[in-house]
Amino acid sequence: MAVVVATEVPKSRVVVDAERCKGCDLCVVACPQRNLHLSPSLNRSGYHPAVFEFHGAKGDCTACGICYWVCPDFAITEVSRWKA
Amino acid sequence: MESVTAARDFLKGNEALAYGALKTGLNAFFGYPITPSSEIPETLAAEYGNPQYPGFKVFLQAASEIEAINMVIGAAATGAKVMAATSGPGFSLKQEGISYAAAMELPMVIVDVNRGGPGLGNLGPEQTDYFQATKGGGHGGYRNIVLAPSSVPEMAAFPALAFSLAFKYRSPVIILTDAFLGQLKEDLMFPEVPAQEFDTSWATTGARGPERHILSSMHLDLPELSRHSEHLRSKFEGIDRAEQRSEKFQTDDADVVLVAYGICARLAQRAVGMLREKGIRAGLLRPITLSPFPRGELAALVERGVQNFIVVELNTGQMVDDVRLATGGRARIASMQRVGGLLPSPLDIVHQVEAMSR
Amino acid sequence: MIGAEGHYEVKLGPLPTLTGKPTHYCAGCEHGTLTRLIASALHELGVRERTVLVDSVGCSVLAHEYLNTDAIQAPHGRAPAVMTGIKRMRPDLLVFAVQGDGDAVSIGLSELIYAANRGEPITIFLVNNGIYGMTGGQMAPTTPAGMITMTTPHGRDIATTGPPLDASKLLATLEAPAYVKRVLLPVTPTPSADFYNARGSMEGARSVRNAFRVQEKGGFSFVEFVSTCNVNWKMSILQSKHYATEVLAKVFPPGLFKDKFGVEKG
Repeated sequence: MAVVVATEVPKSRVVVDAERCKGCDLCVVACPQRNLHLSPSLNRSGYHPAVFEFHGAKGDCTACGICYWVCPDFAITEVSRWKA
Repeated sequence: MESVTAARDFLKGNEALAYGALKTGLNAFFGYPITPSSEIPETLAAEYGNPQYPGFKVFLQAASEIEAINMVIGAAATGAKVMAATSGPGFSLKQEGISYAAAMELPMVIVDVNRGGPGLGNLGPEQTDYFQATKGGGHGGYRNIVLAPSSVPEMAAFPALAFSLAFKYRSPVIILTDAFLGQLKEDLMFPEVPAQEFDTSWATTGARGPERHILSSMHLDLPELSRHSEHLRSKFEGIDRAEQRSEKFQTDDADVVLVAYGICARLAQRAVGMLREKGIRAGLLRPITLSPFPRGELAALVERGVQNFIVVELNTGQMVDDVRLATGGRARIASMQRVGGLLPSPLDIVHQVEAMSR
Repeated sequence: MIGAEGHYEVKLGPLPTLTGKPTHYCAGCEHGTLTRLIASALHELGVRERTVLVDSVGCSVLAHEYLNTDAIQAPHGRAPAVMTGIKRMRPDLLVFAVQGDGDAVSIGLSELIYAANRGEPITIFLVNNGIYGMTGGQMAPTTPAGMITMTTPHGRDIATTGPPLDASKLLATLEAPAYVKRVLLPVTPTPSADFYNARGSMEGARSVRNAFRVQEKGGFSFVEFVSTCNVNWKMSILQSKHYATEVLAKVFPPGLFKDKFGVEKG
């Protein structure tokens, strides 16, 4: 029996450098779509780093870039849009 | 840069110094009026824009002595020839800036026209800033190069020497003069100044690709600060070996040697003549660099057999400490002092020498 | 659509004007945010190779570790004087400093006022968080009345220490400055408390760009960023954003005080 798996490519992507992140929570609270949350695990510095998910609690990431502008530690290193 | 030809003039010490700086290619001056040094900024303000000095790009009277020294730091960071001039109270205010400049190894020339002190003092000549100038003056471990002119021709010539040393060693250079010399008018010849080009590849004039220039005195890592301080020390040791300067007057057969700088050296030199007429074999050693102190010449005199030194200075005993150190306890050192702006006459010095000989 | 053809196109990415070093700033501190805004503006204007940063004393003392330009360190409060020296000798360079409220408004107030009064074509960014950060939380000239600090353990008493000093307003009374602006930089809580507004970062980005443009046009530019210091305010990061919005921004309201060249309109 053939199984067809359809994967939708996330339209945008935010790259978080987990080791630079100080878990300050600002990107989490500033994101309008709730695409970021703090991980329960710790990075090497002992912080809970931010983690990105395309499908946020309030909607999909639109690559608005607010997280990039708000991050005080340059831990958000990339905000990109999928180009087909 | 073209060399400037010699020229003759009759000027006040302060004016001669200002012209000497201009003729050696001064780029910027930042100052604050304080008697008895104000003729220096006034002369430079008057000459600003004179096409004879195309290198003189910036003249600015700052709002305070502190603002002035910090402007000097900024301009010096671009590799420019920068000078400031002041007197005792302003020299005190500038010490933080000079400490930073020494730490960042910035070339600059600071003129202190020593007046009466401490505190507000008076406008008479003193040599009471000797410790402040030669022992660092600001916080932290560093030493300045200190030049002491004793005539108006030297006031004219020393800026060129000062900038040359400042850029050779990347160090602040202090020209320590006094209220008398600043106001004294003498006949002088401006020396021919050879064109001097200096390496300024360290200057903060913009990053080039990945290479950038950082001028910082902060070394939070303890071993790093230790290395930096040791570097400053060994730099000064090199200066000490190579740059001691002094002038000897009739010391070859002297039994008693006077040690004096600045205006005191002029008075002591006259006293030596008068003593010789009375049959006393006196001589004069005139330090030209107060830092590095001319220990070599003093030690040589002791070696030769000179047993008596009289230090003549306008303070309550500062340079005499360095003479004691340099002669290593192997000679009698006497201290002749005048303060308050009073000067000993050559006859006073003669009497002092005679009294000590008895 | 299995295996769709395409790639991620970077909208916002790494900046060559940042060295890439992790910062020493406390988590959530606007110094980091401001550093990013500055790096972005320098990159956009393409001026990295003729920029000189002047480090001040305070939390901004390590700025040259993060911004990838030439830099010189100024003594405490003296950055405006050092910048004057650089710019007078080399008017072709872009010269700027980040100063804290202690550096600029306390020990350096005279240097700040005189550089502004001469209209020196330099740029100063003031990070005003109403306290001394680097030295451990003592009172600053901008500390609001009643605030508890290490040197005002019972709250700042205006009767003995005077009221907080408003640097932007002071500079705005001078004729020469060309651009004086105050921005509330932190994320601010929204009425619904649903998410935090990042308007401060966007406004800050514009203000930094405008400030540099003003310098290039020959004017003195000054932007005061009302910021936070949650560690010394003894609050959580988010609490400090509330305090900045509800208390500090009332003592220092954001606004455009001077815009001689009309850069805000362009």
